[in-house]
Amino acid sequence: MKKTVVCIFLLISLTAGLFPAVSVSATENPSVEEVMEGILAWKRSDVGAGEGESLFTDRFLALAGTTPGDWYPLGMGRYGTEENYSAYLAVIGEKVIERYRTPQKLDKVKATEWHRIALAVRAAGGDPRHMGENGEIDLIADGTYNRGLTVSPGRQGINGWIFGLIALDSGRYEVPEGAANTREDFIAEILRTQREDGGFALSGKTSDVDITAMAVQALAPYYNSERVFRYTSSVRKDGDGAYLSFEKKVREVIDESLAWLSSVQCADGDFESWGTRNAESTAQVIVALSALGIDALHDSRFIKGGNTLLDGILKYRLPNGGFVHSYTYDPDNPTSLPDKANTMAGEQVLYSLAALFRCRKGMRTLYDMREEFSALERLKLDAAIAKINLLNEDSAKADAEDAVASYLDIPALDRCYVNNYVKLLAYSEKFGIDLPEEEPVYNGSGGEDRPLLYFSESNKKTADALPSVDALTTEYYATVTTLRYLLANCEDFEEKDAYVERIDRAYARITEIRGEIEALQADIKEQLYPFERISLSDRGAVHALYDRYMALSEYDRGQLTASDAEGLIKCKTQVDTLYLALLIGGISLVIAAGVTAVVILRIRKRRKARAEKKMPESEE
Amino acid sequence: MKKDLLALAAVVLILVFVFSGTKIQSVDEYYLTHIDDIREDSETVFLTIRCDTVFDRWDDLDPALKEEKYIPADGMILSRTEYVLRAGDTVYDILDRAVRYNKIQMECIYSANYASVYVQGIHHLYEFDCGELSGWMYMVNGVFPNYGCSKYNLSDGDEIVWCYTCDLGRDVGCEWQVGS
Repeated sequence: MKKTVVCIFLLISLTAGLFPAVSVSATENPSVEEVMEGILAWKRSDVGAGEGESLFTDRFLALAGTTPGDWYPLGMGRYGTEENYSAYLAVIGEKVIERYRTPQKLDKVKATEWHRIALAVRAAGGDPRHMGENGEIDLIADGTYNRGLTVSPGRQGINGWIFGLIALDSGRYEVPEGAANTREDFIAEILRTQREDGGFALSGKTSDVDITAMAVQALAPYYNSERVFRYTSSVRKDGDGAYLSFEKKVREVIDESLAWLSSVQCADGDFESWGTRNAESTAQVIVALSALGIDALHDSRFIKGGNTLLDGILKYRLPNGGFVHSYTYDPDNPTSLPDKANTMAGEQVLYSLAALFRCRKGMRTLYDMREEFSALERLKLDAAIAKINLLNEDSAKADAEDAVASYLDIPALDRCYVNNYVKLLAYSEKFGIDLPEEEPVYNGSGGEDRPLLYFSESNKKTADALPSVDALTTEYYATVTTLRYLLANCEDFEEKDAYVERIDRAYARITEIRGEIEALQADIKEQLYPFERISLSDRGAVHALYDRYMALSEYDRGQLTASDAEGLIKCKTQVDTLYLALLIGGISLVIAAGVTAVVILRIRKRRKARAEKKMPESEE
Repeated sequence: MKKDLLALAAVVLILVFVFSGTKIQSVDEYYLTHIDDIREDSETVFLTIRCDTVFDRWDDLDPALKEEKYIPADGMILSRTEYVLRAGDTVYDILDRAVRYNKIQMECIYSANYASVYVQGIHHLYEFDCGELSGWMYMVNGVFPNYGCSKYNLSDGDEIVWCYTCDLGRDVGCEWQVGS
């Protein structure tokens, strides 16, 4: 009992020491929470949502499955913003199903499509291992360890391996026997691309801040591992042009990367990439440090002239809460407006601050999406960290043994949260204490049980307000999809069957319209070009397409791309003109022929009359 | 007699009308169906689509694409062609029209992050199909702009080249891609 009290006391004093409440920076910064709320407020106005309304408007949800459409839900989910995540999960679920119907599924080459969506789905409370109509789509298997059955995750470059490892570790998922790639493959493939300066890059000799920070984020869970990786570099050669071989622990590589990152940090606390100082590079470094359990705002390696990473990133904050990409004005580039908030800067700053927030609160890292620590688990971690911190030159072997015991008491997969392990290692070596490394047991089953959702009165109202099936348009896509998702995952209620039937019918109708729009666009491209060859014989085909177009509602017609609609109207006008010309020509010719015939008849008649007048007598 | 002459004159008029191809379209209809016709006073731009860089990196090319129907022998997917420049046309608009008129496969997505269209593949040749640094880039009058193609507003006489790079722009002469 006494021991526990001492322990907790130490803990409080230590954590207080580690993470002082007052920022060391000279200027008064807004809190991390305020900055995140500001980004969300800006983003809401950006997508047409009112104050206090859900960010997940139809306009926003249309982007689900793309970079901004997925990273915002991830940032929000990891920060813990209250949101209508069911709407995002419903729409992204549909998009995954649709994209899985194509032969390439999510993408021909980019494994990161799987990774980003899997991370966002899990952050929003969904299960990336059981997507699809019947839970048959496993984004983790398909995008990480079995991606190599189709295309190597590295086909797109190093980020395919980096985000593959991040996705694989987001649930500490087990890689089954016989998979295309093992977890060690992912780690080794990242290590192989380390540059001579210690960092990482997509190409070239010089490292890039963003890629280096992302590599550290992926490797972070292995910082405390003593495993030595033996690998051949894929970028560094010796004098004879042969690729160099290395034997390194992940920790050495991360330390080299951190040293390089520290060396290139700018005086204001921010970073530059591709020659431009910008918000996103700085954000990635914050995520990397937070992944290692380093308080990004107090580590002396990342404070330049008193400026922290937070000072560096806040440079890019606008009065409306949004963030700019960069202040470097490029007169040739219309997207580099220094006074206009940029959606990518906003999304990356949001999730980087969520990472920082989580780190300071002692929560799991941004990309470790396993269930949050219980109070006891956190206490054990803090106790081990505190005991290691207390070790000093005067410490007895028993103190070190106690610290080692506390460390080993933590489950193997959580030991990465002991951010002063290196010190423990030194003391265990000093006293000759065994510090065995266990093979961690990864999560075999995948997803955790998710609580049932609730179909609320307001959901019922929304469902009741839907137009009849005949009047439905794709404008209701997000609404209907969300209701359908809720019904499929909610507790039973009295009229549930009736709602399920109605929403299923609405869903079927909207799916039909969406299919028709897509088919119509494909047919237009296929049948109506080249335009010069459109002739009267195409009239039937053109009119068939035009009738299909007109059969759509006004809203749905607007969903066709402008060029497709233009092409269709143009061809229809053309065939109608040709037809009209034919018609008028034909009628004119008939009239001309008729008039000519009448004239000829009249002339003949007159001749005959004249002839009769001239010689009637001679014949009789 | 006089009536017949009048009738014949009418017939001649009808025949002249039918065979002279007199326009029966309204002004708007005429404008719509002739919008892309090149006339004396038309503002125009030129477009070329090429992928000859893949010949130097043939081993990196996706084996499924190693056929002439995907990679033309001269690397020219569309040889230099003149297109009418409509008011407000961007580099993307011209590409969109050209692939339609020539029935060339093309796939692109709208990237909200860059507020622009991003071209993923042309003629079945996609980004990353020839190594991890491969993809489509565009050049206007010899310069590679560092922003999206639907953000670039064209002017009369502009020369657009869409080129497939296998080395993040270095093999097609893009200097900014080489880095600072």
